[in-house]
Amino acid sequence: MSPRAIADAAAQQGLDLIAITDHNTASMTDVVAEAAAERGIRFLHGVEVQTREEVHVLAYFDRSEACQAFAEEIYRLLPDRPNDPRAFGDQPIVDLDENILRFEPRLLLNSVDLSFEDTVERILEHEGLAVPAHIDRSVFGLIEQLGFLPEGMSFPLVEVVGDVMPMGFDRGARLCSSDAHDLDQIGRRSTEFVMEAVSLKEIRRAAAGIDGRSVVCRNQKRR
Amino acid sequence: MTLQEIAERLDLEILTTGVDLDRSVSGGYCGDLLSNVLAAAGAGSLWITIQHHVNVIGVAQVAGLGGVLLAAGVQPLPSVVERAEEGGVPLLRSSRSAFELAGSLYPLLH
Repeated sequence: MSPRAIADAAAQQGLDLIAITDHNTASMTDVVAEAAAERGIRFLHGVEVQTREEVHVLAYFDRSEACQAFAEEIYRLLPDRPNDPRAFGDQPIVDLDENILRFEPRLLLNSVDLSFEDTVERILEHEGLAVPAHIDRSVFGLIEQLGFLPEGMSFPLVEVVGDVMPMGFDRGARLCSSDAHDLDQIGRRSTEFVMEAVSLKEIRRAAAGIDGRSVVCRNQKRR
Repeated sequence: MTLQEIAERLDLEILTTGVDLDRSVSGGYCGDLLSNVLAAAGAGSLWITIQHHVNVIGVAQVAGLGGVLLAAGVQPLPSVVERAEEGGVPLLRSSRSAFELAGSLYPLLH
């Protein structure tokens, strides 16, 4: 999934806005942002963090700098265990022309030494938007891993994969994204935002349904 | 004690074919958080878990585990079994709980 291939697939699917949320890293967001810009597609920088309890949390940022700063913090809390390409494949970092710049040596498929609550707090500290990922999934989903949402926590947006909004989460809006691990999967799920601009502030307002803004799931691939 | 002997004593179902079970098992580990197993399970141990998605095999390889024993009758997808065979990771299964299996395994190894 090279940067341009991702942007091409997104363009083909008629997507106006994309984000990439790699596992515990943001090493590719800038280059994918560039590829997206070439095709006039808007972009949000993000990371998918795996917490200590193996819950996946998506973090989105308005600016690359904030995303990178957050990702650096996360990386410091990732165990210093090297990747084993035999077991999990390589972790290449490429440029816009698909030249491999380097391989990420640390195993990214690991948990960061942060609790779910602390992860969310850190995201907010970096002015990001925290979205629990695929909460209804049996693997790495909030519900499976924690059983329920910790008391006192709420999220304007949660990512749901299936068709049903899980109980206890009906107050939040639903984010549907492809979670594509393959080019074919891009666009298989998408969300339509009606809002004034691409910004976290607008996304939060859309999630709250303020002044005609909205967030609607589109769980079907267009073509 | 070899994994083959353990499989026989504990009446375990062997899911992988063509993977050597003659290896000596040095210990056991119980856990369902992959990151925890990566950090704490000793090489050569038999890992007892109810996690059965494909990353389990990768973890077993990286940590050099002796094998993976799926407890409580969980059923892995055929693709997971294939991955285990490709990776030379013995994959076994039992309908008994992790607690019972660990209880039975412990005296065999200590």
